[in-house]
Amino acid sequence: MIEVRHLSKSFVKYEKEKGLWGMIKGFVNAKKVITKAVDDLSFSIAKGEVIGYIGANGAGKSTTIKMLTGILTPSSGEVTVDGVIPYKDRITNARNIGVVFGQRTQLWWDLPLIESFTILKDIYQVSDADYTERMTLFNEILHINEFLKSPVRTLSLGQRMRADIAASLLHNPKILYLDEPTIGLDVNAKKNMREAIKKMNASFQTTVILTTHDLDDIEELCQRILIIDAGKLIYDGALSDIKTKYGSDCKVSFVLKEPWKDFVDLAKMMDVDPLSITVTLNDDKLEIGFDKRNLSVATVTATIMKHFEVSDLSIQETDIEAIVARIYREGHA
Amino acid sequence: MKHYLNIYVKFLAQHLKRMLQYRADFLIGAGSFLVIQASGILFIALVFAQIPDLNGWSLDEMIFLYGYFQLPRGLDHLLTDNIWLIPSRVRRGDIDRYLLRPINPLFQVIVERFQIEAFGELAIGIILVAYAIPRLAIVWTPITILLALVFILLGSLIYTSIKLITASIGFWVINSMPIMTTIYNIADFSKYPTTIFPKLVQALVTYFIPFAFVSFLPATALMNKADSTGILVGSIVAVSLLSLLAYRLWLKGLASYQSVGN
Repeated sequence: MIEVRHLSKSFVKYEKEKGLWGMIKGFVNAKKVITKAVDDLSFSIAKGEVIGYIGANGAGKSTTIKMLTGILTPSSGEVTVDGVIPYKDRITNARNIGVVFGQRTQLWWDLPLIESFTILKDIYQVSDADYTERMTLFNEILHINEFLKSPVRTLSLGQRMRADIAASLLHNPKILYLDEPTIGLDVNAKKNMREAIKKMNASFQTTVILTTHDLDDIEELCQRILIIDAGKLIYDGALSDIKTKYGSDCKVSFVLKEPWKDFVDLAKMMDVDPLSITVTLNDDKLEIGFDKRNLSVATVTATIMKHFEVSDLSIQETDIEAIVARIYREGHA
Repeated sequence: MKHYLNIYVKFLAQHLKRMLQYRADFLIGAGSFLVIQASGILFIALVFAQIPDLNGWSLDEMIFLYGYFQLPRGLDHLLTDNIWLIPSRVRRGDIDRYLLRPINPLFQVIVERFQIEAFGELAIGIILVAYAIPRLAIVWTPITILLALVFILLGSLIYTSIKLITASIGFWVINSMPIMTTIYNIADFSKYPTTIFPKLVQALVTYFIPFAFVSFLPATALMNKADSTGILVGSIVAVSLLSLLAYRLWLKGLASYQSVGN
């Protein structure tokens, strides 16, 4: 469905020095700075996949999406989306795709929401029968009928996002690009949004590409993730793989009734290599970090409880957020 | 083509709906326009109160020219005024949405707004032309009327093309507004007989930024002051070159469009 080969995009900026004198100097002789926003990216995406495309701010996510949607022309490399080169044949490509940019609406701001749908119906030449059928479905999943007559500018963020998703799906696109669809939404609205995306993917076999900073979105929706850092693809694979690779780190924290005084060799007691565990003690707080592949939470808890009086304990497994932070830091997966 | 026409009508209907919601805006726009026009006519009347004849042009001929000038300008203003907003759309990354829909982006820019105030320009133009015609020795045949309509259409295409050229500069220059207004204001030379200006200005508005083809040359042709075939051919050549250049520049701008970060 989507083929990306050695795709790169550079932006040219003119750097000027600070202050008035710098500005004058810059006016005559500005320093040309080329930044590579996307650097030699290759991947392919099959029909019906839900892909999580993640990376830190400025990693090149939006630039990639903008090249896939035909907004930006690549500096080099190839993109085809359902056999079409997006920036060369924007109109055909536009018929195949739906786009939601979380931070800006595609709807007509001053008009009642329903008017946006009728305009889009004409633009995409959706038949009356399809229109009625899809609008009914959108209402079932996204509950848009309750605010269909209100001007778009009066909608709440959650309502507007639901409306934007419905609008992007009106022409039943083969591919849906969602750029931070849950940004700024409350917990409930996020949940509804994810449900809606799931249902749409199931009912229409729509390929979904999702960029987000919310890792719950990824866990809920995506089978496969692509991680981009500094314009380069650093991970492409199943979410479960990355969890097994990085997600076996575990930490158990205890609150002790009495401060720990005497030396106790915990590693020996648990029968593990002392280097494979980390022990931090802070007054009455004891934290044991370990790898679940060598040691079970049960062993750790039992050992500590046998030697100390414990008033409280909590177990923290590594979440996807921590994993991604670690990959960003290390720059590779 | 039918598809585009249908969308055009739908957008026009939407626009009218919005206009009716903001009645005050419309009245203020139309009112300020009338003041500007009235002062323009007053200026000409004052000049002619002192000088009965300007470089071979009588008051009635001047009124005809001034009135005719409003017609292509009004038509362009009515239909394609939204082109003015291209530079600010580029700056804010709002070109994105045009590129995401399966319709020609320039068409989308144009249909987004109808400048209803332009009816003021058109009305004044028609009134002045209608006032001047019986006083001038012009024989109106179906051919002259057709010629007048073609000239008006070509003239407004010159406006639109020049506007698109200057607006497209906005893809490379952050603030292209001064360029746009400067060039647009040069069109004002065409309100008066071009021959009253120095040779340099005459050459500028005929060959370089061909505003003379907008109203001065067609008006002289219609008043039988010059050869109409030559002016028609010149006008067609100017419009073809200019609109081709404008559209190419716009496409080049789109290709180098950088959007904005989130």
